[in-house]
Amino acid sequence: MKTRGRLTCEETFRRLDRYLDRTLSERELREVEAHLEACVACASEYRFEKHIVEGVRTKLRRIESPPGLVERILGRLGEPTPSGDGGDDGAGGPATG
Amino acid sequence: MEPLEPRAEEDLSIQAAGLAADGRAATFEELFEQVAGGAYRLAVTLTRNRSEAEDLLQEAALSAYRSFASFARGTNFKAWLYRILINRHYYKHRQKGSRPATVELEDTPELYLYARRDQLGAATGEDPAASLMRKMTAEQVRRAVASLPPEYGAAVSLFFLEELPYEAVAGVLGCPVGTVRSRLHRGRRMLQKLLWQMALEAGLVGGPQAREATV
Repeated sequence: MKTRGRLTCEETFRRLDRYLDRTLSERELREVEAHLEACVACASEYRFEKHIVEGVRTKLRRIESPPGLVERILGRLGEPTPSGDGGDDGAGGPATG
Repeated sequence: MEPLEPRAEEDLSIQAAGLAADGRAATFEELFEQVAGGAYRLAVTLTRNRSEAEDLLQEAALSAYRSFASFARGTNFKAWLYRILINRHYYKHRQKGSRPATVELEDTPELYLYARRDQLGAATGEDPAASLMRKMTAEQVRRAVASLPPEYGAAVSLFFLEELPYEAVAGVLGCPVGTVRSRLHRGRRMLQKLLWQMALEAGLVGGPQAREATV
């Protein structure tokens, strides 16, 4: 693979997911951006992957709740449930995030 | 080079922290109403259809309602509910004993769709990925995500729907950040193959030549 700037194409590719997810350190971010500015092939891959990520996100966020969903669910909270329907839901502890 | 969009602000609403607008402790119903839409969207990306999604959300809501006394005010109600929902999904999946074609999906190479960009049917000058995403419906994309093995689907769904940082996804899933990163990376790779299969079935992409190349 050709070397453009400090990162090679392979090194840039290994960071591509984290670059898309904006989880790289500032230094790595600048290194990836420098490579993408200089390498047409890698920039093409990045743009493509970015469109896929954005497209999937946009489509999924269009999903709307059916009418009356909250009312139905809250209305059923007091109903008895079938016996033996267990399962560890992890409801016991505090959540992080 | 197009600048990256800024990450969405972390949800710091007082509702998410378990308080109502007037500072009193919010009721379960008030908190649930605030997050139900997002929880439903999460459920539909994990299940086969809308009916199953509503059932899953109903069961998660019931479990959360019964455990509400253990919910620590000041922590994130949405994350807490989401964890209950995902764990419920895992449990039901184990009960069914269904075993998706994980091995075949896990063999999906990197840049699966990029390697097939010439078969995506883009118009002259249109980005092939943008073309594919434009042609696919929300339901087709949902079905592709819902076809992922559960542990990958949960990470991918949380990431795409909520745009959470890895640490927040790890908090909801109850696993290390490294595990989240791995599941997201592999899950997104698998998702590309599923999107391709979905688009192929719908006649949106490819042809005889493409089918020969699909492995």
